[in-house]
Amino acid sequence: MTTPEIAFKHVSKRYGSGETEVRALADVDLSIDRGAFVAIMGPSGSGKSTAMNIVGCLDRPSDGEYFFEGIATSTLSRTQLTLLRRHKLGFVFQGFNLLPRTSAVENVELPLVYRGLEAGDRRQRALAALARVGLEGRAGHTPSELSGGQQQRVAIARAIVTDPAVLLADEPTGNLDTRTSLEIMQLMTTLNRVQGITVIMVTHEPDIAAFADRIIRFVDGRIESDRLKSDGALETMA
Amino acid sequence: MLAESLKLALRTIRRNPMRSFLTVLGIVIGVAAVIALVTIGNGTTARVTADIAKLGSNMLFVRPGQFGPGRASTTAKSFNDRDVAAIRDQVNGLRAVAPMAQSSATVIFGGESRSTGVVGTTSGYLSALDWSLSSGRAFLETEERGGRAACIIGETVRTKLFGATDPLGRALRVGNVSCEVIGTLAKKGQSGMGTDQDDTVLMPLRTVQRRITGSSDIGTILVSAQDGVATSKVQGDIERLMRERRGIVASKTDDFSVNDMTQMLETMAGTTQLLTGLLGAVAAVSLLVGGIGIMNIMLVSVTERTREIGIRLAIGALESQVLAQFLVESVVLSLFGGAVGILLGLALAYGATTALSVPFVVSPSIVVIAFAFSALIGVIFGYVPARRAAHLDPIEALRHE
Ligand SMILES: Nc1ncnc2c1ncn2[C@@H]1O[C@H](COP(=O)(O)OP(=O)(O)OP(=O)(O)O)[C@@H](O)[C@H]1O
Ligand SMILES: [Mg+2]
Repeated sequence: MTTPEIAFKHVSKRYGSGETEVRALADVDLSIDRGAFVAIMGPSGSGKSTAMNIVGCLDRPSDGEYFFEGIATSTLSRTQLTLLRRHKLGFVFQGFNLLPRTSAVENVELPLVYRGLEAGDRRQRALAALARVGLEGRAGHTPSELSGGQQQRVAIARAIVTDPAVLLADEPTGNLDTRTSLEIMQLMTTLNRVQGITVIMVTHEPDIAAFADRIIRFVDGRIESDRLKSDGALETMA
Repeated sequence: MLAESLKLALRTIRRNPMRSFLTVLGIVIGVAAVIALVTIGNGTTARVTADIAKLGSNMLFVRPGQFGPGRASTTAKSFNDRDVAAIRDQVNGLRAVAPMAQSSATVIFGGESRSTGVVGTTSGYLSALDWSLSSGRAFLETEERGGRAACIIGETVRTKLFGATDPLGRALRVGNVSCEVIGTLAKKGQSGMGTDQDDTVLMPLRTVQRRITGSSDIGTILVSAQDGVATSKVQGDIERLMRERRGIVASKTDDFSVNDMTQMLETMAGTTQLLTGLLGAVAAVSLLVGGIGIMNIMLVSVTERTREIGIRLAIGALESQVLAQFLVESVVLSLFGGAVGILLGLALAYGATTALSVPFVVSPSIVVIAFAFSALIGVIFGYVPARRAAHLDPIEALRHE
């Protein structure tokens, strides 16, 4: 058996201490293989974002171990985690998180800047990434000049410009209308099917989750259910 | 990466031009003060050096009291005629000896008047200073002895009061004294300290003592050594003679001073040094304030841009890269202040040197130092905010509103 790309071993995450202690994640075991398309669902406060942050190496578990490609991340320094994010992971944050007053193409270039790419090379790759999300004509626009769906596409372009192994998206369609949401999901599906990128996304909407191959449901910091779509079990859950 | 940080820094500054300018005002003032001071000082030094070269270094000034940096002139006994005579008769190798009793008075001719410096002296004054007459004659010995009301006027007094009129033989009113103009001095121009040397009236020593100052004191004895005679030897001889005449025992220090031109200028430079020190302190304080201003605005900027920093950290910026970005930003700010300060300082110095009519000498090294120092301030005061930015937790920063 090959090593899973992402593996949680008894991962817990606590915030605060004593009376005010919150268990955001409680003893979670999880493994996700390369090339998977996973949707994470669950009620508000169930630990979805917490889990995503740990997968994305932005946060560390309080207990247990998170393995990325077989490497125990607790052994890595802050700098090594940053390098891991830089080279392996792409983020689409909840609420876009684009730099304001900065053009779309410059936003997309940002991860390449920190990789030390030369300006011309950077621009070329950023424009190519924008083209992949269907935003060729909007490269010079700042976020305030773009619609919500267009901003979300810029955020996706920024996440995939580095050709990451894993794309993490926290409610990528949270603020979008149905039509735009479907377009974004088609884009994610293409990235997963055609480019082989592992996609993990958080969503509240069952019809968005339906694009994924696997749906993991969190409740109170625990995995309540974990099913493959081909099980046909989705209907009983929704 | 550096180019990227530079671009970002310039963009941030352009977005808040007013705020940026106010932030660096302290640095502007500090740098401008330093640049102006040094440039004016250089000009004065250049001028003074030229003057010494012109005057020759064989002049000595004998004055009562002690002068020098940090030493106030004590109230010492003045010199008298017999001291002058003793120097003239007992010290070898002298070209000229001239007593000086200085005062100032209003001089009036026709409808014109002005306030000018009056020097009571002897003809030796002209030979000591190597100052020639453009017309008329020097004092006669009888005029000196008798205290006759005769005067020799400087070029400025001549042009301002007499204009086209020939002043020779005219009666010039000096204070309460009406005296005959017997000669005019050749034009000498400004001294190293910026005073107009031609704005002067010379009269016999006795006349000034009796009718203007009302005392027989001699403020300064001017001595010029012959060519080829070491001034240090003459200086030593005069000191020995005066100690003897003034009855100073071996254990006591002199209550008079004998200085050559360089020492005189050093004395004056001593006062300038005090002024330079004071203004230097002002400059240091304003640079410090400027640095704190930069630190403050950078801290504000880090707080304002917490979310942006979070994004950068999350998508792969190393702590060192964020640190560098904010350091570059504060250095660009302080360099901007430094550049404006340098221009302002040079403009001030240009105005001041023109007014003092000393040469405008820009020292490239001080410009470079000021610029480098501005950068240093940016690094020092930008470090704390930059470190704060670099150490932000990406998740908390992203959540920041
Ligand atoms: N920084 C924090 N400090 C304290 N408690 C936290 C922190 N972050 C999350 N929590 C708590 O951890 C629990 C899980 O939070 P998380 O953000 O993972 O929920 P979520 O499933 O993403 O919810 P939503 O669907 O509303 O985004 C919540 O109870 C939350 O209050
Ligand atoms: Mg969440």
